[in-house]
Amino acid sequence: MNVLRFSIISLMMVMWLTPLAHAMTADEIIDQANQVAYYAGNDGRATVKMTITAKNGDKRVREFVQLRLNEANGDQKFYTYFKAPADVYKMAYLVWKNIGRDDDRWLWLPALNLKKRIAPGDKRTSFVGSDFLYEDVSGRSPEEDVHALIEETDAVYRIDNIPKDPGSVEFSHYVVDIDKKLFLPLNAQYYDHSGNLYREVEAMKIEEIQGFPTVTVSEARDLVSGSKTRNEFTAVEYNIGLNNRIFTERFLRRPPREVQ
Amino acid sequence: MKLALTQFSLKRPWLIIISVIALVVAFAVQFPSVSFDNDPENMLSPHEPVRIFHHEVKDRYALYDFVIVGVVNEVNPNGVFNVETLNRVDHLTQQLLHLQKNSDGLPEIVIPARADQPEQRTVYDLSPQAWWPRLLGKVFNHNPNDLFDDQGNSVIVEREMMAPSVVDNIKQADLGSLKLEYLMENPPQTEEEARAIAEDAMGNPLYRGTLVSEDRRAVCLYIPIIAKPYSYNVATLVHKLTADWPQEDQVLITGLPVAEDTFGVEMLVQMATSAPLAGLAIFLLMWLFFRNASLIIAPMLVAIVSVVCAMGLLIGLGYDVHIMSSMIAIFLMPIAVADSVHILSEFYDSYHRFGNKKDTIYYVISHLFKPMLYTSLTTIAGFGSLAFTPIPPVEVFGFHVAFGVAVAWVLSMTFIPAYIMVMIPEEKLARAHLEQPHGESTSVLSPLLAGMGRLSFSHGRSVLIVTVLLLAGAGYGISTINVNDNPVKWFTRGHDIRVADEILNHHFGGTYTAYLTFAEVRPDACNREQKRELVRQRVEERFGTQFPQGVARIKAKLAELKVNQHTVAGCDVHKCFHELFLEAQQIDTQIMAGWNQLADEINYMNPDGLTREKLAANLQPMADQVGKELAIVLDRLPAGDELQGYPLMDAALQICDEHTRKSFASYILELEAEVSAPPFKQPEMLRYIEGLQQALADGGLVGKSTSAVDALKKAAYELSYVAPPSDADSTEVASYQQRNQTNFSVPETASAVGQVFVQLEGMKKKDSLFHMVTRDYREANVWIQLKSGDNKDMEQVVAQVEDYMQNNPPPVPLKNRWAGLTYLNVVWQDKMVNGMLSSLAGSFVVVLVMMVLLFRSVVWGVLAMVPLTVTISLIYGLIGLAGKDYDMPVAVLSSLTLGLSVDFAIHFLQRARELYRKSGDWPESCKAMFKEPARAITRNAITISVGFTPLLLAPLVPYKTVGFFLATIMAVSWLASLVILPALLTVFKGIVFREDVLDEDV
Repeated sequence: MNVLRFSIISLMMVMWLTPLAHAMTADEIIDQANQVAYYAGNDGRATVKMTITAKNGDKRVREFVQLRLNEANGDQKFYTYFKAPADVYKMAYLVWKNIGRDDDRWLWLPALNLKKRIAPGDKRTSFVGSDFLYEDVSGRSPEEDVHALIEETDAVYRIDNIPKDPGSVEFSHYVVDIDKKLFLPLNAQYYDHSGNLYREVEAMKIEEIQGFPTVTVSEARDLVSGSKTRNEFTAVEYNIGLNNRIFTERFLRRPPREVQ
Repeated sequence: MKLALTQFSLKRPWLIIISVIALVVAFAVQFPSVSFDNDPENMLSPHEPVRIFHHEVKDRYALYDFVIVGVVNEVNPNGVFNVETLNRVDHLTQQLLHLQKNSDGLPEIVIPARADQPEQRTVYDLSPQAWWPRLLGKVFNHNPNDLFDDQGNSVIVEREMMAPSVVDNIKQADLGSLKLEYLMENPPQTEEEARAIAEDAMGNPLYRGTLVSEDRRAVCLYIPIIAKPYSYNVATLVHKLTADWPQEDQVLITGLPVAEDTFGVEMLVQMATSAPLAGLAIFLLMWLFFRNASLIIAPMLVAIVSVVCAMGLLIGLGYDVHIMSSMIAIFLMPIAVADSVHILSEFYDSYHRFGNKKDTIYYVISHLFKPMLYTSLTTIAGFGSLAFTPIPPVEVFGFHVAFGVAVAWVLSMTFIPAYIMVMIPEEKLARAHLEQPHGESTSVLSPLLAGMGRLSFSHGRSVLIVTVLLLAGAGYGISTINVNDNPVKWFTRGHDIRVADEILNHHFGGTYTAYLTFAEVRPDACNREQKRELVRQRVEERFGTQFPQGVARIKAKLAELKVNQHTVAGCDVHKCFHELFLEAQQIDTQIMAGWNQLADEINYMNPDGLTREKLAANLQPMADQVGKELAIVLDRLPAGDELQGYPLMDAALQICDEHTRKSFASYILELEAEVSAPPFKQPEMLRYIEGLQQALADGGLVGKSTSAVDALKKAAYELSYVAPPSDADSTEVASYQQRNQTNFSVPETASAVGQVFVQLEGMKKKDSLFHMVTRDYREANVWIQLKSGDNKDMEQVVAQVEDYMQNNPPPVPLKNRWAGLTYLNVVWQDKMVNGMLSSLAGSFVVVLVMMVLLFRSVVWGVLAMVPLTVTISLIYGLIGLAGKDYDMPVAVLSSLTLGLSVDFAIHFLQRARELYRKSGDWPESCKAMFKEPARAITRNAITISVGFTPLLLAPLVPYKTVGFFLATIMAVSWLASLVILPALLTVFKGIVFREDVLDEDV
């Protein structure tokens, strides 16, 4: 039921927006892309196979299940539960993304029987040692950059984003290509202070799942170190009706059935 | 026949002079294409296994050569941990991280805009201000502003920079949370913040003694660069950036790359100053002897031409000018001058006999021809033998010096006669002799030489006894020789590099880096049987009494896997465990499905207003499936409503956990983590490395060692840290501290290790863990810091590791290998010493054979070897006794010693034999020997030894060594030739002056 209703709404939205698209400002495009990329449905679940490939070809594979719940005012909660490799089995992360203030983060290390809160810090740090950053996983707030539409082709909007506080990030600006139809970011390219491209994040495969365009394979590449990380999403589901209580410290020690 | 060349030169002097000019031009045009190589690493061939491995290690662990910048503050009571100094350090770090090349090719630092300040751009020009260094830079093609690679990117590897502002730190923050940030996330604004940074740094084993000194007086920046030859320029940049720092913040720059590169740059300066200065000194001395400027220009020209030819050949053949080859000029000059000085000396002394240039030259050359040919050949043999050492720059050096010597000989035979014919007017020579007849009466030399002659003639036996005693002493000295080298010690005391080295090594764990790597001996070993047995045992222990049936099923599965193992490709541990896991899950379903279901249901309950009664009611619908379990829970939960909400749920869950804890599946996963853990995730192995590091620390030579184990322990400590409650009394606080301290250790299980490592993988500075362990945790790298770069210390550390591993076998057989510049130096030194020894031995034999051929007599051949043997023995004996290290320059000098010290003997013996044959009377001949011939030898000795004293003023030790050595070689071999040889001839005249020996036409 839900799915059907949502599809109709999105269809209507697409019909509505298409004629207006040319008139959209860069801010509007980014806002919508942010919604499409990070807020699909009320909640969602995916199994992620993360492959980190170092420059010399060494591979590390991690498997985890991720739960996401949208809340009012754009806040979101994320639960990440590790299944492989064996030594990190049952390890879990909990993140509350808070719009306008620092995120809350917790960590559960089963082998040490240890739950630890992680103090708010730089979001542009690696997510579990991969080439993805925390900010790639939970989304960078559109408020943090100044956006400019620098090119428009038949297929994409190309938006340049310049940070409002350059001292807080390692890039000088980044350019995102956003699919005109789906409003999904297809590719983001980050430039350093000398103007060199040093990092890319790309949507390698997009599928429609329950009416939501969903990136099912994405890749982040660190062009300086030569390392890259590929995330493959399977068993993607939206609107599964996740209980808000899952996203609490209690469920770190005793993982929810949704991830098992 | 043998004088054909000279005769031709006397006939056609202009042709010779023009040919020589053409030759010089031909070689000199090669000079502009010169390229320099300051890298001592090139002492090893690029194919040398240890060098290949060194680069593999650097690559595998993303390691770079560092320029080490130390900031020392001895004035402030808080050392460097004060607001101003830390802000300066942060600013310097930011500057170094934001280096760009501007449109003029100059370094520009662009600090990006921040909320509180706009973008800052500053352009720097690192070219020296004074004209002389500027000119040298131009000549040697050295651009001090070259801080960029071919693409114009900074040579500083920004992401690998180690400085307080950019290294990770884990620390406790508010509400028992853990903060992951940089050690100096923001430069401090208050003294308190500065102190907090000090505390954090001291509490982190990765930084204490490495980044910050334990006395808090010093902080270090490790600036990684893409290639060593940029280190001098980076050091210059740092000096420029810190030029306006106050006196109390001392900035010191060191590290092997800087030392080596600075040496390279200064060696070029020496090449341009020492060699000409030595030339000038030789010139002045010759002027003293001969008082005829136009005459003595000739040997100078011979020296210059042979140096130009040798260097031109080297450059033309495409070799880089290396530390060794930069010394070619200095080595070649005395040798090249030597022959000409013999000719001039004789010419000067015999001119009055002929009163005619041509005849005098003919006479001089005719009886100097053979000794000069042989002295040149022996020198060529001495240096040529270096071409067979296993050290590429030494080969190049040896070959080109040999070539230069050959050129010098040809020039002496041709150019000197031609020059005298063309450039020296007869009248001038005649006048000179009128003023100073025979050069004898006024000279201090002649009586002295005559005295020496009398002494060795009349006290021959005593001379020989003293010689033997001296040799015995030398033998003892040689036995105490200390083979050691340290590129930093190539600088004189008081040199900036040496001072920085001393101060920083006083404060820190050490600025000399070596890498000790470990890998499994049999990385692919699968040990199936062992693993199966372990699983069998552990499952039995854990579940044997409670769930014998479950255990039986696991055992059966294991047996089945054993049968199937040949059909499964290779040894896929994970596949086997997956099968076991599936089996275990089935067992779990049978024995605890109900408990899991029940616990899950309780876990999801809404705690608001939850009472025992409500809980029971909520669970009632499940009673069909979990009736038995539910009854147990309800039975054990306390009656009444004292527990409500979460506490109630927790109590109920605890009861369930007593059962769910016994999951076969979880245990199999635990076992999988343990059994399949790579070596450097195994607690036992990590503790082994910990023990090794401790042993090295106890050994006294290693100031600091850093490994993944240190990072692991620190992270485990911080993760498990529990702050004592604010109202705790001191004993409570102490017990908390004690408890926390026990967590500063390797976690108990492979899973726990793995989980802590994952946290380290995701630190702010990505992948910094992988400098110390490979991504698959199969190999590890321990960063060793030594306080001394002495090779003997490095060797001893290597021995300590061997000892430890011998006495403490590792849990898994390991092989260890070394890398790092400090270690590379040991390897090439080793090759150098052995190479030099065998080349010395080889050329000794060659020279002996030559001598036997020259004199057509074994006795005389052996006699000729006496002075050089005495000289080499005495000099190396002296080095041993004086405690000077046998290092690279000393090793190379052995060949010079051999080449030069045989010369005097050849000249002496040759002339002695000639004189004896004429007079047939040894006492008479001996007296004659101490006139002209001895004078020529003496003039040579003085010229060369005094001529090279300017080298003693050089700021580089190898140059000083060469200067000192040349003087000593000359003095000793002069004495040996003029005292020992006549003594031997006198004492053994019965053997040496036999008719058959002297009959030969020499």
